[in-house]
Amino acid sequence: MIKVENLCKSFGSTKVHNGINLEIKKGAITYIIGPSGTGKSVLLKQLMGLIKPDSGKIYIDDFDITTANKKQLLKVRYKFGMLFQNAALFDSFTIFDNVAFPLREHRKLSDDELQEIVTEKLKLVGLSGVNHKYPSELSGGMRKRVGLARAIALSPDIMMYDEPTTGLDPIMTDIVDDLIYNTQKELNITSVVISHDIPSVLKNADYIGMLYNGRIIQYGTPEYFKTTDNPYVRQFFSGSKDGPIKVY
Amino acid sequence: MKFFEFIGKMILDIIHMAGKMSILLYEISKSIFKPPFRFKLFVKQIEFIGYKSIPIIILTGLFTGMVFSLQSFKGLDNFGAGEMTSGLVAMAMIWELAPVLTGIMVAARAGSAMTAELGTMKVTEQIDALDAMAVDPIHYLAVPRMLAGVFSMPLLNAICIIFGIIGSYFVLVGMMGTGSSIFFENMVLYTTLSDIIDSLIKSFVFGLIVVNVSCYNGFNTTTGAEGVGKATNVSVVESSILVCMFDYILTSVLIL
Repeated sequence: MIKVENLCKSFGSTKVHNGINLEIKKGAITYIIGPSGTGKSVLLKQLMGLIKPDSGKIYIDDFDITTANKKQLLKVRYKFGMLFQNAALFDSFTIFDNVAFPLREHRKLSDDELQEIVTEKLKLVGLSGVNHKYPSELSGGMRKRVGLARAIALSPDIMMYDEPTTGLDPIMTDIVDDLIYNTQKELNITSVVISHDIPSVLKNADYIGMLYNGRIIQYGTPEYFKTTDNPYVRQFFSGSKDGPIKVY
Repeated sequence: MKFFEFIGKMILDIIHMAGKMSILLYEISKSIFKPPFRFKLFVKQIEFIGYKSIPIIILTGLFTGMVFSLQSFKGLDNFGAGEMTSGLVAMAMIWELAPVLTGIMVAARAGSAMTAELGTMKVTEQIDALDAMAVDPIHYLAVPRMLAGVFSMPLLNAICIIFGIIGSYFVLVGMMGTGSSIFFENMVLYTTLSDIIDSLIKSFVFGLIVVNVSCYNGFNTTTGAEGVGKATNVSVVESSILVCMFDYILTSVLIL
């Protein structure tokens, strides 16, 4: 379980987070939604300890990572897998080496075992025969799937997804949504997903948190979000430019 | 008032940067002794920083030795001391020219590429990805580069000195008619083993500076292609200036 208490973060004079309180339940898929530029990616990176918050607490299974040292942080990160917005594959490595990377770093495996696990993970995301290709030779959707295979290679307890469907065509979006859902069910992990994609959110989410103005302004189940009359949520769901959310 | 603000800000920025670079150097040196030792990455960096720099270092050394001999011979010959030129050239190459030129050449060739590579990794979140997979980017990326840099640089320096002397031999013996035995006699007379050791110490430090500055700028690259370009540019400028500055500092320490 992840618990965030009163989290604040500024970059220079820009206040990104202004007292975030959030609880992410174990074994569920929680979507974080909100307009662009509200610091959703920054929140995700703070949860993993990649960015240090200015103040506030983040508990990962009751361990406060905001006061942890580098060694403790590295240990906490074993629990995480993360799919980056643009997959963040190592462009000088082949697909096989990319997926094998965390395994080579953290497990002592024979070549056969490595081959077996990598093939299995790639199969799980619906890819085969791409082992010797380079990331630049794949489409955006395929890269994201490789990124997902790499993220789940070490069988993490918590999966983070940073806009997994942004920039994908509708069919690929559906495939990636299903992947997130199936990964969740098969590995029984905790998932945190950042998304703008309302249909994906409503289809997959167990819980939704909406981030605006540096705070979580609404939290609840998809059913709740469908019926709430919170004007911010309504505007975001309807995709209208008129409403309380100002776009500059 | 604006002018003083500008000066003040510049000085603060420089102190800030020097502090951050020192912290990076400290973190790199702390990580060097942590297992695992990444031998493959180390060899790859040796190839990139060291082996692939050999041609330009040979050319740099050769032409520097040649032009320096030509100029010095012209000057010294006026006093009838033309035959001593080989000693002067060897001294200059060992003390100053080879370590500094090697430092600047490696900064321009390998340091710039290092910053561009790390900078691109930074802006495409590949460095974050390393962190996210519980792999320390300093240990994975900076340490092999640092080890390769401080290992390669003294060797490149030695190559530069040797080819400087070969260039000098072409000019002095081949063109100016200095006797071959006098050439070597004078060269050995004016240089000692401790000169060579000092030179290697200098190039070791320059290797450290170039890799540290290149890694620092790579890791701190911001926003996109323009950021990578800017970081690369700044990296080469800073490395070159620091090499010159530390050349003075080291010389004054070593000469005492």
